[in-house]
Amino acid sequence: MQDAGSQALSEALRSSFVIVKIAMVGLIFAILGAGFFTVGPQEKAVVLRFGKPIGEGQKMLLGAGLHWSLPYPVDEVVRIPIAEIQKVTSTIGWYATTPEMELAGTEPPPGPSLNPMIDGYVITADRNIIHARTTVSYHIDDPRTAIFNFTSGTNHGFNIGGVSNAVLNAANNALILTAARFNVDDILTRNFAGFQDAIQQRVDQLVEQEHLGVSIDQCQVECIPPRQLKDIFAQVITARQNYDKLINDAQSKTNQILNEASAQATSITNAAESTRIRFVTGVESDAEAFTKLLPRYKADPRLFAQMELAKAMTRILTNVQEKMFLPERADGKPRELRLLLNREPPGQKSGANP
Amino acid sequence: MKKNLITIIIAAVLVVIFALLLFTFQVRQSEVAVLTTFGKPGDKNIDRPSLYFKWPWPIQKVYRFDERVQNFEDKYSENYLADGSIVVSSVYVGWRISDAKEFFPKFTDGSVSAAQLQLEAMLRSAKAAVIGNHNLSDFVNVDSSKLKLEQIEDEIKTTVQKELAAQNYGMSIEFLGIKKLGLPESVTQTVFDRMKSERQKYISEAQYQGEAEATKIKSAAERQAADITANAQAAATRIQGEGVAEAAKTLTTFQENPELAVFQLQLEALKNSLNQKSTLIFDERTPPFSLFQNLPTNAPAK
Repeated sequence: MQDAGSQALSEALRSSFVIVKIAMVGLIFAILGAGFFTVGPQEKAVVLRFGKPIGEGQKMLLGAGLHWSLPYPVDEVVRIPIAEIQKVTSTIGWYATTPEMELAGTEPPPGPSLNPMIDGYVITADRNIIHARTTVSYHIDDPRTAIFNFTSGTNHGFNIGGVSNAVLNAANNALILTAARFNVDDILTRNFAGFQDAIQQRVDQLVEQEHLGVSIDQCQVECIPPRQLKDIFAQVITARQNYDKLINDAQSKTNQILNEASAQATSITNAAESTRIRFVTGVESDAEAFTKLLPRYKADPRLFAQMELAKAMTRILTNVQEKMFLPERADGKPRELRLLLNREPPGQKSGANP
Repeated sequence: MKKNLITIIIAAVLVVIFALLLFTFQVRQSEVAVLTTFGKPGDKNIDRPSLYFKWPWPIQKVYRFDERVQNFEDKYSENYLADGSIVVSSVYVGWRISDAKEFFPKFTDGSVSAAQLQLEAMLRSAKAAVIGNHNLSDFVNVDSSKLKLEQIEDEIKTTVQKELAAQNYGMSIEFLGIKKLGLPESVTQTVFDRMKSERQKYISEAQYQGEAEATKIKSAAERQAADITANAQAAATRIQGEGVAEAAKTLTTFQENPELAVFQLQLEALKNSLNQKSTLIFDERTPPFSLFQNLPTNAPAK
């Protein structure tokens, strides 16, 4: 009886051992299989074996593709995003608002002044106050520096949090230091591009000095006057636009005046010219006629004169409007003639005393 | 027998693992470890990543620290400037544990948050000292050559670094910068008032200057136009004169016989004056009406 019992027990144990063996083999395969990992095209990976990176220098970084590592805690895979654009937005310098309000396009009501504990702002070179913020786009240039030199906390993890914090504070610092060098009108309107460039220069400088291992792609900057003064700032812009308009109008009036004067001048000189030509030509033709008449005149001046006069009379008489012929009185006495001057326009006869 | 072999192997593996846990420790990349023997910290900073041997607790204990640069920011707080004005500021610091074996005993169990409290206190006094030595014109100035912001950052950093070295905390400051800068709320009110009046001044300026400029431009234009016209008049006169001079040459022709010339002119004058709206009264003596002399007419009855 005992034999059968112990035999049955050993049978059971044997079969369960087989299952356990199979399970253990399967487990080993699973663990080893889990060691496969892929690295994406925008990443690099470092494998830490017992905490030490495998490979030296550039070979430490694994590129895109399929790789294998031993399971944790022997090996640890650290992924680092390369070339992928990271963005941080400055946390100082803007009035207090929430992301929900930003999306909705609303804002909390402005108070009478700015509480430095709640609202952010920057001070400009000419001691004005404005709100400014910047979004810095950067990517990791030197992955080993970025991951292994900076930490974001005390969890000993490997991520880009540390470097991201450093870039964020570089952005904050750049806003303050750059605003302190520019006047408010230059920042808001006249030289905004210069201001934006200067901010990027300062961020670049800090990134360089602090050896962050990143490269700045772009700094997008936004600036507004304090909301409490929004209206009066807008009024200045309007006033300046009006000024520009007045000057433009004056200048186009100038053009108009000068064009008119020029045209008038031309017509004056043209008229003088044509008068001159007419005069000269007239005199010349008179001289020509004179020369032709001279021989006849010299031949018989009196006859000539009378003939010319008679000819002239013909023409005159046809043109004269009213002709009155007063024959001599039969008795030879002189006539008395009375004329009514300031007569009505032609059409009416005058009265003449017979 | 086979059963025993497997058991032995499994047991051996378990023992090895256990031994590893007890007798070794791993230092990872970017970590630095300090080994304490019976509570007394060792004299080495173990920072090369690798697997190391140690005696198990309570003989030896391992403390691990992140030796990377950490970001710390102090509280946004007020400080007096040399000229009596107040500025509110906050700085950010990139610091790291540079000497773990010195760092560890200074703070309970090498706590980083305790270290940060210490750093906060040091920053507070350094800021007060440095800011108290500067004026507001060092912080904001229209003449950017007079700005001393970077110098102020350097001064605060150096002050804290000196203090850390003096206390031998095993910490180092990699970089320090101004994170936030502001003025007390009452001062911002004054600034707003000044900004408002400045804007008002610009508005009036633009108005008055605009009108003055426009007037100036227009009168300059009118002056110029008058010049142009005057020049044209002068030119016209000159042209006329040229005409007369040219005609004068021709006029010599008339000098041959002035009487005829005069007669022609008189004849012309006669023709032109009697061109329109003229009334002529003749008697019989005027030709051609002289033809009517002694002609039979309606003579009055005698």
